[in-house]
Order: sequence, then C-alpha cells, then structure tokens
Amino acid sequence: MVSWADASENEKTSWADQVEEEETVEFSKEGDLPPSSQKIVGNIKTVIEYKYNDDDKKVKVIRKYKIETKKTSKSVARRKLLKKFGLSVNDSSGPQRATTMVSEDVQMQFVTNREEEMLQEQEDPTLSKFKHQLQYYMFFKNFKGTAQKDRADEGDKPETDDTTTTAPAAPGKYVPPSMRSGGNTAGSSMPTGRGSRDEQATIRVTNLSEETKESDLQELFKPFGPIQRIYLAKDKHTQQSKGFAFINFYNRDDAAKAIKSVCGFGYDHLILNVEWAKPSTPAGTS
Amino acid sequence: MKPLMLQGHERSITQIKYNREGDLLFSVAKDSTPNVWYTINGERLGTYDGHRGTVWSVDVNWDSTKLLTGAADLSSRLWDCETGAVINVYETKSSVRSCNFSFCGNLFNYTTDRQMKHEPRICVFDIREPADAEPALSFVVDTKEMSKPMCSLWGALNEYLITGHDDGTISHWDLKTGQLLHSVKEHTMLIKDMQLSSDQMMLVTASKDKTAKLYDAPTLEHLKTYKTDRPVNSAAISPIRDHVVLGGGQEAMEVTTTSTKVGKFDAKFFHLVFEEEFGRVKGHFGPINSLAFHPNGKSYSSGGEDGFVRMHEFDQSYLDFEFEC
Repeated sequence: MVSWADASENEKTSWADQVEEEETVEFSKEGDLPPSSQKIVGNIKTVIEYKYNDDDKKVKVIRKYKIETKKTSKSVARRKLLKKFGLSVNDSSGPQRATTMVSEDVQMQFVTNREEEMLQEQEDPTLSKFKHQLQYYMFFKNFKGTAQKDRADEGDKPETDDTTTTAPAAPGKYVPPSMRSGGNTAGSSMPTGRGSRDEQATIRVTNLSEETKESDLQELFKPFGPIQRIYLAKDKHTQQSKGFAFINFYNRDDAAKAIKSVCGFGYDHLILNVEWAKPSTPAGTS
Repeated sequence: MKPLMLQGHERSITQIKYNREGDLLFSVAKDSTPNVWYTINGERLGTYDGHRGTVWSVDVNWDSTKLLTGAADLSSRLWDCETGAVINVYETKSSVRSCNFSFCGNLFNYTTDRQMKHEPRICVFDIREPADAEPALSFVVDTKEMSKPMCSLWGALNEYLITGHDDGTISHWDLKTGQLLHSVKEHTMLIKDMQLSSDQMMLVTASKDKTAKLYDAPTLEHLKTYKTDRPVNSAAISPIRDHVVLGGGQEAMEVTTTSTKVGKFDAKFFHLVFEEEFGRVKGHFGPINSLAFHPNGKSYSSGGEDGFVRMHEFDQSYLDFEFEC
C-alpha cells in the first residue's frame, strides 16, 4: 500500500546541515537592497541575502546548505511539498531562524546508582534536620576560616572531616560521602567544608596521560614523603584521567622537593608539569 | 544528540503528538495557536488559527488529513490538516480537556471540564455528519460518584473509551451505551496523561503522585510502576524497545522558588519490565508537559512549561544500549 517513490524532485534541506559559512560584505548605504537570490549547484544550495545590520550598513549574507535526498513514502513526500499556512504563510522553504533552532549538544546520561537515590528518598527527617544544622555550622566556620587564614594549620583538616563522617552517622545509618553535607538540600551551593582543607602542601600535576591511575601517582610521589591524599581528575563516564591531579603531602618541604624533581620529568611519553596548587576559591564567597 | 528547538508558542506546551507516519509533529500550548512541524528538519509547516484560549489537546487522524483540537474557549475544532482551514466547530458548555480520533478517523470524542455548574461530559461525534448534528453519544460523568476526566483514549477496535480521572482512577466506558464498564484506582493523585503502546495493548499513565504506571489496556490490570521523585506529567512507551520515557518536574507555581539544579526537569528513561531508570536527558528549563516517541522509535520529542518543543534524535549509544539486570 505504501509504495516507495523516488522523491528526488522534492529535495529537503535540513537545517542541521547548514554549512557554517557566513560571509559578510559591507556596502555603503546607498540605494535599495538588491533582491536575494539562490543558486543550486550539485548538492550545495547557496542563498545570498542583503540586509541592513545594526549600524545601518548594507550587509551581504551568503549561506550555503547541503541538500540531502531521502526516499520516503508517497504520502510523506507529498506532504513535504505542501504550501505553508497560518503564521508561516510567508516563510520561505526550509526552517526559519525565528522558530527553529539547533540547541546545544546533550547526551543521554546513563544512570546506574539507583540505590543512592532510594536512600535519599528514605532519609528520615531528624537526619536531614541534623544535616541542615551541620551545614549551617560549616558555613560560618568557613567564614571564620577566611578571616584567620594564616593561622589555619594542618590540624584543621582532619577535624572537619571527622565531624562530617561521624555526625550524620549517629542515627546508625551509612550515608555515602557525596551526601554527607546535604547535597540534596536547598543550600547545596553552600561551601561543603572542602575549602578548609589545608592546601599549603598541595601540588598540582598536569599533562598526565589518559591512562594514568591513582596508583601510578602514588608510586611516583611516594619517595618524596608521606602523602595525605591524591586526587586524580577523571571523566565521569569513561573513568579516564582528565590529565591533571592534585597531591596533598603532609609536609610542605616534601611537596617542594617533589616539584623540584618531577617538574619536567618525562612520564608516559609526556612531560609532566608540576606546580603549587592555587588555593581553591576562598571559602566564604557566598 | 543535538535537539532541534521549536519555538512556535508563546506559552507553555500542553500536548504534542506525531502523526502515524512520523513526518509531522503537532504541538498545542496555552496560547491559542496549534502548530505543525516537519520532523525531518524542524521546519514549521503552519499554524491553525481560530481558537481563543488555551488549547489542551490535539489529535490527528490516521491518514493525516484532519486535525482535532480541544480548547478552553468552549469549543473543539476540526481542521483541514494540510491547509489550516476550519472544517467544523463543536461548541461546548465548558472547556474541552481532551479529544481524540478513533482509529478509523470517522469518530472522535471529547471530554469537558466541570465548570460553571456544568458537570463533565463525554461526547462522541461522527465527522461525516453535518456540523449541527446531534452527537453520536453524549453522557455526563456524575461527579458525586467519580471525579472529572482529565484525559481520554480510544481502546482497541473502538469498543471502549479509556478515561483518566482527577483522583487517579482510570475507567472503561462502553461506546455504544455510555455505561461505565469498570474502573481501577491505582494512583493517588490526578492523572495528567495516558498513552497507549503502538499495538494498543498496553497503557501507561502519568500521575501527579510521582509515579507512572503500566496497565494491560483491555482489562486495566495493573502491571508495573515507575517511581520518580517528581510529579510525572507525561509518559510514553517506545515502539521498538522495552523502554518508557517519563517527563515531569515540580509544578509550575513552585519553579521560581527553587534552583534549576533541583528542578528535575530531565526526561527519565525506564526499562519497561524491570521498572528501573537507566538514562536521563536534560534540556528543558521548566517541567516537561508532554512527551511523544516518533513512530519509528529512533527519536522522541518533549514539550515543556518553558514553551519549547525539543526534538531529539537518539544517538547510537541509546540504540545499542542493553539493560543489565
């Protein structure tokens, strides 16, 4: 019943295939605008338009479209040639800029951690109240932290970590780290207390290869002194390294040593760049 | 995927629908002008001018020659799909909430709201009759016994009409007598949208109680529940995969008081059988009000409170995706 017709005569220009080539030639402001014209050579359609730009100058706009031919059923092919009506009655063929836009690329995010969400739902009110209080406390603590930044010492860091881990665990329920500071609550943009980590002895390693793993970094930096923490930036989906990492040493001297010896060191066919980590944005920005 | 954003409406989208062959997409919104778009490139073919109020519902017949809309301006209109001309206006006493063609396209139904002391009414017309003809079937839903219908669908073989109600009930009505055949109440809050699978054997409902449910359409046996953390405004069943897509978000009146981060305006993809979410697509900056799968299953569209319709062509990664259980 549905026969397949060769719909070569009804060529469909797809806006997505517009070749990004806009050329503007300015003219002096004299006389009327020349009429727009279009030319089809092979599978490239060229549309030339003239218009006035914001500065009242005449502008020639050249747009090139690639024409694709698709085979469809007769009824669909016939409908493609229908005259436009209603508010679109004066539109030329092809998508109009006013009504059709190509939006930014979006990816489907594949979700696997369903359990985490369930946990979030089942959270009891006392716990969330406690979290709010904790968040409030952290917020003001960080304020103080910026004022007395110089006095911040290493003892500061484990202390904050302790409060976050032990406190919400009090009702006897495990709370994953990502949610400890109440990621699901309204004030999620508040500083989470990470800013208070002592960054005095932190170095930043860049130009790492994609295959780098945390264990590799551990091995590389262990000789310089005890390491507090290694953070390797990874892609959410592929779990591959993004090419940079932060290493927290316990001692600033060790970190300095590491910078001196590893900077410029060839690793995995790339030359590493090691420098002091810039302190992350001050905790009290909000 | 690079979605096409269709900006033909000045207010929030109320419903979108593909025609049977999938080359056209119809959108209606709270402004009074239904739009029709080519799905191949997002080009607007035309608008249907004539309504004077929110258009709640749209449907197109089998061969895409006629379009039916139901609006809050106390009318349901029949249009020539290809020229935008009005064929017929069916005046009602209260606003039309939903309207649908039967499979053959010769009959259509509409359901009306409870307004201005008028009880909700379900009417069936034959489009071959003249404009002022009596409806083929017309009956009142007694609001003392059940709440008002929010959405409706024709069952297989035009034997029954399915309605989804304000209190979460779904019902079957006999299309010869207007008798209530049976009803079930699985949802606790109002049903925003119902859609059938491509073979009309399964029914998915979207409810404000933050769930979508799957039923056996002829018996209304409850099969599956898809739980989310937001009111669900629309749900659709993929014609080619065992997937269900859910769209929703907080209610429009609460949107301004919360950040977009927690707005939950993404479309969620669930496995039909395992009831588990496996994917999300972001994009709208308001709740999604209506969702539809392309009949070939390789793209889907969503219409949101933000007034945009977004047409998404699936990436190969979705088509290759296998659910691990």
